[in-house]
Order: sequence, then C-alpha cells, then structure tokens
Amino acid sequence: MAPTIAPTNAPTMLGTSTLAVGRELEGLAALVRSYTVGVRSRSGRQPLGSGVIWHPDGLIVTNAHVARERRLVVALPNEALVEAECVARDESCDLALLHVDVEGLRAAPVGDPSAARAGSLVLALGHPMGVPNAMSLGVVHAVTTERGNPRFIAADVALAPGNSGGPLVDADGRVLGINAMVMSGLGVAITSNVVRRFVRQALASGAITISHPLAA
Amino acid sequence: MSSALQSLSDDLAAAVEAASRSVVAVHARRRIPSSGVVWREGIVVTAHHTVQREDGITVSLDDGTAVGATLVGRDPSTDLAVLRLEPGAGTVAQHPADGEEIRVGQLVLALGRPGAAVTAAMGVVSATGGEWRTWHGGRIDRFVRLDLAIYDGFSGGPLVDAQGRVLGINSSGLARAAAMTIPARTVERVATQLLETGHVRRGFMGVGVQPVRLPAGTVRAHALGRDVGLMVISVEEGAPAHAAGVSLGDIIVAFDGTAVSDPSELLGALSGERVGKPVSLRILRGGAPQDVTVTVGERSARGER
Repeated sequence: MAPTIAPTNAPTMLGTSTLAVGRELEGLAALVRSYTVGVRSRSGRQPLGSGVIWHPDGLIVTNAHVARERRLVVALPNEALVEAECVARDESCDLALLHVDVEGLRAAPVGDPSAARAGSLVLALGHPMGVPNAMSLGVVHAVTTERGNPRFIAADVALAPGNSGGPLVDADGRVLGINAMVMSGLGVAITSNVVRRFVRQALASGAITISHPLAA
Repeated sequence: MSSALQSLSDDLAAAVEAASRSVVAVHARRRIPSSGVVWREGIVVTAHHTVQREDGITVSLDDGTAVGATLVGRDPSTDLAVLRLEPGAGTVAQHPADGEEIRVGQLVLALGRPGAAVTAAMGVVSATGGEWRTWHGGRIDRFVRLDLAIYDGFSGGPLVDAQGRVLGINSSGLARAAAMTIPARTVERVATQLLETGHVRRGFMGVGVQPVRLPAGTVRAHALGRDVGLMVISVEEGAPAHAAGVSLGDIIVAFDGTAVSDPSELLGALSGERVGKPVSLRILRGGAPQDVTVTVGERSARGER
C-alpha cells in the first residue's frame, strides 16, 4: 500500500504571524534585490563588491574601496551588465558614486538610521564572493554617533568580502546604511545620512548632473 | 508595508530594552569590560573567567552610573562569579516561570554591555540536552547550545527570550566551538551557594591523573568495562588519596562502582555531597585489581583559580 502523503496545503502548527513573517521576508528580499547591484571590474569578469541604486537617473552608491577604477561594470537587478563610470569618490568616508547610462531604474527607499535601536531587525543583501543576491538577517548591535548624528551601524549579520557597498535595510526594506566592513565578526555599515551628504556634495561639485532633484 | 516583520522588529527591540535594565558592564579586567546581570536585589552574576582582579571592581548600570562591587565568590567549575553592589543598585532581571523549558528553534537574543550602551545579537537555540559536566567538573542542569555569535565582552551577559526574560548567562569559556548558556536554574543554585559559603563545595582526593590505554589481556582477565583507565601521575602529600595509600603508577578504573576513563568523569564524580564520606576506588596495581577506600576531602576554593 502506498504511503499517505499529506497535501502541502494542510493546516500547519505555525501561527499566522510566523507565516506572515516568512512571506514578508521573501517580499523584503525581492524588494531589496530590485535596487541592489553587483560591481565588477571593467572586463565584467572580476566581482569587486555591491552597490545601491540611489537615483533613477543611473546613480549608484558603493564603497570607495570597491570602486578603485574610473571604468567599471555594474550587474543590474535584471542581470544586464552595463558600463559604469565612477564620478565621485571619497576615501575618508569610504563612499563612491557611480553613473550608468540607464534610465528608469528603481531607486532604493532611504530609512532613518537614528530610529534604529539595539535589537531592531536588519537585513543585508550583496554579492559576497561573487554569489549574487546573498541575504543575511540579523539585529542591530549598536549605532555609533558623531556629534549627535548616526555615523556607523554595527549589526549582527554575516558579511563577507563582496558585501561591501551593498545595503543594510530595516524591516520595511529602507536603506539604513551601506555595508563597509567587518569588525570583530560584526557587519559595520556607513549610515544613510552620511551617504546622503556625500551624494549631495558630489552633485553640488558638478561631477554629474541629474534631470530631477534628489529627495531631501 | 511589512507589518508582521516590522512588529517582530519592534518586539525584539522592546525585548532588548526591557532586559537591558538588568544588564551591567563589569570592570574587572584590563581590556574591554565584560557583562553581568542583576540577578537579585544588589547581586550581580557574571562569568568567572572575566573577573581577573578581586579588588577595585566597578559595575556600570543601565542608567550610566558606576558603582563599586565586592566579589562574593566564584565557581570556576561553572564559570560563574557573584558580585555584591550597594543595596538597591540596579534593576533585577525577570525570568520565565519555573518549568518553562528552553526549546530548540526558539528565537533568542544575547545581550552584552561592553561599554556604555547595551548591544544585541540574535539567533536560535540550536541544541538542548540534559545535565552535563564542564571541563572543570561543574554540573550544568541543562545543555543549551546557541546558533548565535557571542561577541567580545558578551560573556556574563544574559540570554533572553523574545519577551526580554532572562533564560541564563552566556559564556564563551565553557566550550571551544559554540556559545553556551548556563541556564537560570544552575545560576540560581550556584549563586545561592556562593552567597551562603563564598564558594561552591567540591570534593577532593589530591591526585593528578592521565588517561592510559590498558592491555587487552588485562581488560579481558578482570572484566573491566573500558579499555582506558586513569593513571595516577601525582599524589598530594597528606591529601585523602595519600592517606588511603594510593601511589604513583596506580591506574584508577572505577570510582564508587562506576567505570572512569576521563579526568572530567572523576572530577564530576567528586561533587560537594561526597565531602567527608568514604568512597571505594578500584585501582590496577602491578596489573592486578584491588579496592582502596578514600575519604573524600573538600577542595579549597583557592586551589582552583
């Protein structure tokens, strides 16, 4: 006699909130994927790190230590490989701004790092070791501030080289920071307020022009 | 947008906030401070291995104030130490009701205060089991292994559930590979003993042993349960084993009728309840088994630091 196999839609012991958490995590990962890119060498072969689409006019933020060359290649969320130019770079805050000649990109929603508390859920997405769209879930460990403003978020997420330049996001998929390094096993991200200031300064210097202004 | 995730996130942050009131920084070593938990009114429990000085210990509370602390006692065998604060200092931790077991897969947070602010790590309970003995022979009521990263300064901090209730004290000093939690029940028992007597009572024979493989013929001839015994490599002058005539080269194969083949088994068997009582030791001397009776002594707290 053939063994009876329970249909997969049979009621489970899971509470509805647990199922909702699982579903929302999948939705969250899909959202974050839609604005996370891979950054590669000019030949397109060597993975260097990750990046975040900051503006629909083709502006991408990554780490300065990822974008060491002026000419690079970016792997877009739809997997298309496009040429990118590094238009601004600041090693003191480890940020770089790339431009790709592609319109209608989906820009990342930006969150408020000052609202992050120890224990808040966070998610990191990136291309560690060239693996596309690897996701890591954790909680905020600590937020360090500078003159009252958030500067770094240390998070209990597993990061590897290649996560650099990718987003650290809150439970709503809003970018709290750009993952930049690993310290004592903790992922450390540069907070989005620092990224905003860097992008504003790059635009003010005339490094690149955009068709419509950035949100404040 | 994502309501369940956002509320889970809020709950976790709220659990950290609630539990953080009882989490303190313990300044008792040179490098970064370790963590501790206000376990009872004016009493802090921390990890023994992080208390590297006995005088001039200070504790930073949740409200940012620093207070002096005195060392009540320590139990190296369970890696716990108890400190006394001035009365009324700190907020006492909340625990789950007795009988609520820690379960595999349960979402947990490890908290630490390696500086002014409390810090958090999240994970799940990866394994649970029954009572076990540490390397140093300490009895831990329940085996709780975590799939969670314990960062610098986290030892002595609490493991909390999603409601912010303290399940135990985390230590990196009990196992090499993974973070372990000393369950609340064990902490309670050890803290009570330390508060009453200043140390945890441990049995003592005064021998140093090393595992040795026994010849197959000897194992067969004397129907020994195991093929490894514990060779006596030192005997302390005047100690209980010395008084009972145990000598260098004797191989201990059983303690009170139970086969022993690892030093931790012998340490584990020498619990506080044995102190002052005679126990039968089966030894091999010159290849022949014989029984000697040792009256178990009490190990001084100082001898083990």
